Amino acid sequence: MRDAVQDEIIEQFGGLEWLDRYSLLISFGRELEPMDEKFRTEENSIGGCQSKAWVRAYEVDGRLMFNADSEAMITRGIISLLLKVVNNRSPREILDLDLYFLDEIGLKSNLSPARADGLASIIRRIRELAEGEVN
Amino acid sequence: MTDYSKDYSKDFPILEKEIYGKRLVYLDNAATSQKPDSVIRTLSEFYRSDNSNIHRGVHYLSEISSERYEKARAKVSDFIGADDPGEVTFTAGTTDSINQVACSLKPILEGNEVLISGVEHHSNIVPWQLAGAKLRAIPMDEDCNLLPDSIEITDRTKMIAISHASNVLGSVNPVKEITEIAKEHDVPVLVDAAQSIQHLPIDVRDIGCDFLAFSGHKMYAATGVGVLYTSERFSDIMPSRGGGGMIDRVTLERTTYLKPPLRFEAGTPHIAGAISIGAAIDYMQNIGMDHIRKREHEVYSYAREKLLGTDGVTVYGNTDLMCGSISFNLDEIHHYDTGLILDKLGIAVRTGHHCAQPLMRTLGTEGTVRASFALYNTKEDADRLLEGMEKVRMMYA
Repeated sequence: MRDAVQDEIIEQFGGLEWLDRYSLLISFGRELEPMDEKFRTEENSIGGCQSKAWVRAYEVDGRLMFNADSEAMITRGIISLLLKVVNNRSPREILDLDLYFLDEIGLKSNLSPARADGLASIIRRIRELAEGEVN
Repeated sequence: MTDYSKDYSKDFPILEKEIYGKRLVYLDNAATSQKPDSVIRTLSEFYRSDNSNIHRGVHYLSEISSERYEKARAKVSDFIGADDPGEVTFTAGTTDSINQVACSLKPILEGNEVLISGVEHHSNIVPWQLAGAKLRAIPMDEDCNLLPDSIEITDRTKMIAISHASNVLGSVNPVKEITEIAKEHDVPVLVDAAQSIQHLPIDVRDIGCDFLAFSGHKMYAATGVGVLYTSERFSDIMPSRGGGGMIDRVTLERTTYLKPPLRFEAGTPHIAGAISIGAAIDYMQNIGMDHIRKREHEVYSYAREKLLGTDGVTVYGNTDLMCGSISFNLDEIHHYDTGLILDKLGIAVRTGHHCAQPLMRTLGTEGTVRASFALYNTKEDADRLLEGMEKVRMMYA
């Protein structure tokens, strides 16, 4: 099922050269609200990636809000896009989400567990956190 | 004056590749090198015409493959200046070689101490810990020069295990000086030559080490194969693994083992891989190790000086002799971001901790960008790297 937030991202990135895509990700990364130091805990950290990353979730009126961060700016940019898509949804909606925008803007390879940016682990963590709320 | 500008990249088919529409600049040679056509042909022709198991068959093909395998061993022996091919064991790679030594010597190492340097790869740290040894680093100065005069050898020091060249910094450690000191105390020395065998002429007799470990794939040969040189004086150590091909006599009560090298080669080895090491040595010796060293030094120094002369770049380590790797960071820009953008410019580097976390802590960084050079890299490659870094910086401006 198409999703308005993801379609909007795809439109923004459509037809851009690689370096322009990265420039855009860098600017999104800069806009991402940094995670408060007190939440950068071992519990919230994502292991196994080259740039340290953290994810946490909190609930507002039955909807999940995520807060995530990374040391690398391009990864922050991708996180920023990801949060635009997953934030403010019910846990069930999050679990049903097909994150097709990553593929369509050329970031599918970043989802491979072999990649070092930990994006795959960040998405896994988001799903686990949503699952925890459903159960 | 010798001309060091010859373009060897023509010998390496993969280097014709374009990545994202740009000529590939491959600067990840410390991770693995590319393979020359002669090595690729040797591998393919072996499987096409000579493939058979070694040392066991009575038949024609087995004789041919055994002969080729042993010829490769003799080439390695000659290449590293060993006294006898019997001192050369084929292993799965540097990591495997070091693990085998640590495992064989476990009864001596357990509860005792191994001296290493502060620039070691995890493969020269973890095997000793698994053998139950405590590790102590030989002191170094702030530029990562080891200080052999500060080596402290105690009764509990049972091994000194040192990388010849750092996979992160490209710093070359004074292994000869270290073996001289070790000899006074009768402590064996293992030299990890994974990052030097492809760059510098190596002579185990000159270095005076007891063990030397290196990988095939970083010296233009196949992956999954490597070498462990074991000096004659350790020829009777217990093999770390048992199986076929390494025994003299087996009964259910007791087994006796063959002499090295077969003693240390249980099971079917990577026959084609070992032969590919022979082909890679032929390739390098045709050019000449001294020529390779000088040519690489020109390109390496050129790249390093350019990096050092660029504002906003931190270059790590500075020793008298350097080869292969250069580690750096662009100030305020995460190494991973730099690597991602360089990739899209067709430049392959590695980023991260490079399996050397203790060194990263010493350098005060989580990771670096590492450009690592091989004999086919040129000053033009270094220029492309510098241009790429300028591009990265502009994107962050």
